[in-house]
Amino acid sequence: MAHHADAKRALDERGYKGQLVRGDNPLKLFEKPVRDRIVDSYYWKEQCFGLNAATLLDRATELSFVGGTYGVAQRPTPFLCLAFKLLQIVPDKEIILFYLEQEEYKYLRVLAAFYIRLAWEKDEEVYATLEPYLTDSRKLKRRTREGWALTYVDDFIDDLLLKSRVCATTLPKINPRLFLEDEDRLEPRISALGGELEELDGEDEEEDESNGEVEEVNGPVNGREHEADGSDEEMVGG
Amino acid sequence: MPPPSSRMTKNTLQPTRYRPGKAEVEPDVSEDESEEDDEAEEVTAKAPAPKASSFPSRKLAVNVTQAGQRIPSGPAKPKPPEEDLEGFVTASESSEDEGGALKDSSDPSNEDDEDESSEEEDSSSDDEPAKPMLRPTFISKAQRAQQGTSSTTTTTKTAEEQSAETERIRKEKADELLQAQLEKDAAAKAAGRKAWDDDAEIDPEDAVDDTDALDPEAELAAWKLRELKRVRRDRAAIEGREKEKEEIERRRNLSVEEREQEDKDFLSLQQGEREGRGKMAFMQKYFHKGAFFSTGENEEDEEVKAVLNRDLAGARFEDETGDKSVLPEYMRIRDMTKLGKKGRTRYKDLRGEDTGRWGMEAGKGREMGRGFEGVDERFRPDDGFGFGFGGGRDGGNGGGGREQTGANSAPLGERRRREGESGEGREGKRARFD
Repeated sequence: MAHHADAKRALDERGYKGQLVRGDNPLKLFEKPVRDRIVDSYYWKEQCFGLNAATLLDRATELSFVGGTYGVAQRPTPFLCLAFKLLQIVPDKEIILFYLEQEEYKYLRVLAAFYIRLAWEKDEEVYATLEPYLTDSRKLKRRTREGWALTYVDDFIDDLLLKSRVCATTLPKINPRLFLEDEDRLEPRISALGGELEELDGEDEEEDESNGEVEEVNGPVNGREHEADGSDEEMVGG
Repeated sequence: MPPPSSRMTKNTLQPTRYRPGKAEVEPDVSEDESEEDDEAEEVTAKAPAPKASSFPSRKLAVNVTQAGQRIPSGPAKPKPPEEDLEGFVTASESSEDEGGALKDSSDPSNEDDEDESSEEEDSSSDDEPAKPMLRPTFISKAQRAQQGTSSTTTTTKTAEEQSAETERIRKEKADELLQAQLEKDAAAKAAGRKAWDDDAEIDPEDAVDDTDALDPEAELAAWKLRELKRVRRDRAAIEGREKEKEEIERRRNLSVEEREQEDKDFLSLQQGEREGRGKMAFMQKYFHKGAFFSTGENEEDEEVKAVLNRDLAGARFEDETGDKSVLPEYMRIRDMTKLGKKGRTRYKDLRGEDTGRWGMEAGKGREMGRGFEGVDERFRPDDGFGFGFGGGRDGGNGGGGREQTGANSAPLGERRRREGESGEGREGKRARFD
């Protein structure tokens, strides 16, 4: 594939002959203003020229924060540029899954998750692939429009599955999980908390609202009867 | 006092271009002082000009821009092009050269004609694509003889020293440049992305720490909390849906009267809320809040919420006339700014535009009395009471009320049927095109 210094060839809406994602040029998953910012940024021009899957891996391991665009001039983050590059390359499924499975580099994992949410068309696959990573509780740095924020891998993936706009992109529409469950295309989610779920539930109902407080998980609690017990079991048993 | 400039501009005099066939005119020599200052600035200005993004914008330990100028660590020397000219010694220069070190041009002891002229030349020759050519001055035979004797002594004395000096200077310059380059590379490597990220100082990345495993238990607990919230949220969504379904079922199972009863309760509740609001004054202008800021689910500020939801009915602002009903009809407009303008519409309200009988039939005619009192006499209906009443008065007069005045006041009679008119009647004489 001939690489041009700017991605204009791929951005040209006429005569795009590459692989289609969701029926269209994959780069069009990003909005036009965002695309323009990415292509005009120095990171893209210097670091993202002529990347293939392997070299992109190297770049992604150097990432240190996620984010969309920031600042007054809406500069794109390297995360966004690399995601754009992934869309341009349209790597194979195995490669993306390999990225996702990397334990060592959390930003690479998050990048792959972002790509999956954008590019994969089957909702069930998206949910099935991304939900296991809701157990990954590592911290992520997020660059917001003004300043920095702290988030977590599971929080980010949750946003990907639920929100409509993440990292300066409008995510393509995905059926909500309830809908898929009703249609029996998906099983209800089994939370990784598992057995501890009832305990935590019981504690919270007895105590006052404890938002933001760190919960200490005690051992199995005896003699705690509460009304919701039956429904809890239904949910967890799935 | 700023240097007096005959050109009346601060722009430096640009070198005149070479045009074939035209005699070259040197730029004005009297511009010396300003030019010398500008030289120095020019040189310093030019060095940092290629500002590629790959190079960090931080100050380096060694100031590259000064590298060319720092070679003789003595007095600052604003004449780097001259050092490049080693070996090219004009007659005028050699007289200056004493003790090997190039002297400061502004050294007051050098008051020779030659020195001054050489200064002038140097300044004039300071364009960067350095024409290192010094303009040779004319030295008369007598002076040449003088010079020759003095210079030979000086040069023989200082030849070795001079060459050593220039060597040293060159080496130092090279070293410094090399050092600067190495530092740049190291900084670029260390900085990594700082290449394209210019606001690393304003908004430091260390504001947030994303190292893991600082406190595993706390992190695990935080994760559990988040997971719990997610599960709860999912459950709440399911429950919400089920409640809705339940509600629908319940309403279906109610009988009709019970449904109506519930609806009435709900409506009265709504009206109760509405009654708390003020009433719009007569012809009060309606200000729409605007749709842009309306969705403020996250709005927590009490004041902002209050402002967004405030009720403007009956509100008066400063310049407003109190009661528009005392104004003549021409001035009864909602937006007083349009008064007198062509943009003012004659539209007042829907009721005024109504040409039908709906507004009146709804009972208003009976409540307000006849609707034609305020209207000029010429525009009143003929009967004066026919449609002023509720218009539904068929029966008695039927349509005949109006027609009692005027020419058609005779009642209609029976239509005469001719004999032999069996089926056709009026159709008999119709043109047929079958």
